[in-house]
Amino acid sequence: MKQLLNKPLRAFAGYAFLILLCSIPAYYYFMDYIWISELNEHNRIIAEKTKYNLNAIANQDSTLAQTIGLWNKLQPNTDLQPTPTIQPDSIYNLYKQKPHAPNQDIDRFQGLVTYFSIQGQPFRFRVETNVEESYETILTITGVTLVFFIFLVLGFILINKRISARLWQPFYATLQKLRAFSLDKQQSITFDPANIAEFEELNQALSSLIESNLGVYKQQKEFTENASHELQTPIAIVQSKLDLLLQNQNLTQEQSSYIDEANQALARVSRINKNLLLLSKLENVQYARQESINLSELLSDTVLLFADYAEGKNIAINTILEPGVSATGNKVLVEILLTNLILNAIKHNVDHGSIQIKLSPDRLVIANSGTTTLLFDQLFRRFGRASTHTPSTGLGLAIVKEIATKHNWTICYEFQGNWHYFSLILTP
Amino acid sequence: MKLLIIEDEPALSKSIAAYLAGESYLCEFADTFAKALEKIALYSYDCILLDLMLPGGSGLKILEELKRQNKADGVIIISAKNALEDKIQGLQIGADDYLAKPFHLSELTARIHAVIRRKQFGHSNLIKQNELEIDLLAKSVQVKEMPVLLTKKELDLLLYFIGNKNRVISKAALAEHLSGDLADMLDSHDFVYAHIKNLKKKLHEAGCDSYLKTIYGVGYKWEL
Repeated sequence: MKQLLNKPLRAFAGYAFLILLCSIPAYYYFMDYIWISELNEHNRIIAEKTKYNLNAIANQDSTLAQTIGLWNKLQPNTDLQPTPTIQPDSIYNLYKQKPHAPNQDIDRFQGLVTYFSIQGQPFRFRVETNVEESYETILTITGVTLVFFIFLVLGFILINKRISARLWQPFYATLQKLRAFSLDKQQSITFDPANIAEFEELNQALSSLIESNLGVYKQQKEFTENASHELQTPIAIVQSKLDLLLQNQNLTQEQSSYIDEANQALARVSRINKNLLLLSKLENVQYARQESINLSELLSDTVLLFADYAEGKNIAINTILEPGVSATGNKVLVEILLTNLILNAIKHNVDHGSIQIKLSPDRLVIANSGTTTLLFDQLFRRFGRASTHTPSTGLGLAIVKEIATKHNWTICYEFQGNWHYFSLILTP
Repeated sequence: MKLLIIEDEPALSKSIAAYLAGESYLCEFADTFAKALEKIALYSYDCILLDLMLPGGSGLKILEELKRQNKADGVIIISAKNALEDKIQGLQIGADDYLAKPFHLSELTARIHAVIRRKQFGHSNLIKQNELEIDLLAKSVQVKEMPVLLTKKELDLLLYFIGNKNRVISKAALAEHLSGDLADMLDSHDFVYAHIKNLKKKLHEAGCDSYLKTIYGVGYKWEL
């Protein structure tokens, strides 16, 4: 993921590159233009001077041809020749081999051809001056531009870093606090005052959002708690009436079975209710007490508790418990967690199936035989249906997950070779 | 024996009274805090069933009042709140037992029995029923003066049946009695059957009459 400040940095660098790139031909054009116009002027001065000087010295007819011959020999870049007519001046630019150079060296020249008469005789005068080659100019400008571009980008990066470190510091502080925030803990956040208006606004908006969320969350919890409590009494009444009905001497077998089924459904309602209550109270002070728990003992006690039930369902429980494994946590909750896991393994087992419970210092693995894999994303959700199997409260594993999270443990599920593996990883 | 039911739900208190009707219990009712205070000040009871959430005040206040008046009434708290702290607080103030709603009437009856027994005879009491004799202190059972070896759960069941004699007890209620709070999580109560089968067998072999009847599809009944 890109950092926010790196985005404008890229745009800035790109823009700077574009502008500097465009500047290369512009510089070249202007520099060359200045060069050429200066040289044209220079050539013109030489031509004027030549014309004037030759007119001054060559006043005798006999020496004119000789002087011109000598001129042409001594002045390397000029050429003076008689011509039949006077024509308009012209300028040109050409590349040619440097005369008398030891190795092949192409040079660029700016030339001027002008016509004037010396003692009434028309002459054609050509002067060429060496000028810097275009490619050399372009190369130099490009090199210099590139160096400046590098400096520019380095500067951008440096400034960017300083800005993000200083300017965004309150933002990161806020982010840190938000990360540590959890609705469950019921603790609101106090943000440090930021000296930037936008961040201060953000903090204020977050604070009020969190406050209202905490309020809603608390209300919802209280609602669940109250609703569950209020339900217990009517359930108790129905239960007592069913118990009374059972005492009737004249019950037919069919009627008895109705009562039995009603009893079962009622037990489920009652369990759902208790579980909801537990979930809503998990974060309450009553479960805040932490102590060192001997997991090995607790686990074997819990297994013992279910020995009857498992036997009744023809399910064998094998345990490999390393002795003396302990963990810090709330004993009541850990008991509930173990109970729920083992109970699940018994309930959702195959006929004559078995359960493997293995405890080592860093993890507890409870495996039970099964036929198909369970839907992972439904497994730990409240009222999630991970399989179409036996009816349940749909809260058992949600409670397991909540308790594990509360203790900073991780619960994982895997299906391998017809075994369901539930692993509780004790090391955070 | 006198029983006071302090409970604001008349439907529930009527059920309790109806269930106990065959026994030698005299049930009185109080459905508000004030009425309950008045009753406990005026009379003594063998056992008081106390709901904690009452119109007019908390049941715990009534419990405190009982203790303040040095009354020896047995108290069983029946509460919709199954919170650990309530339970601990109730028992600390001096309640004899704590039963969370919802409960089976047979469970409540067994607990009333136990409380009254403790109050009347202390801990060294014997339960006698024809050829059957149970020593609660020694946790031993004799049939025709010959000891019968029962497991803890079997003895538990036997006491439960005797406390609920002549009543049909559902398998669910027995399962709940045996496995406590876990019972409503279990989808089958077949394990109850195994214990009852063993209990029946042991009693029968010792020459005890077969008081324990199976009511098919429903549960069991200790018939006298």
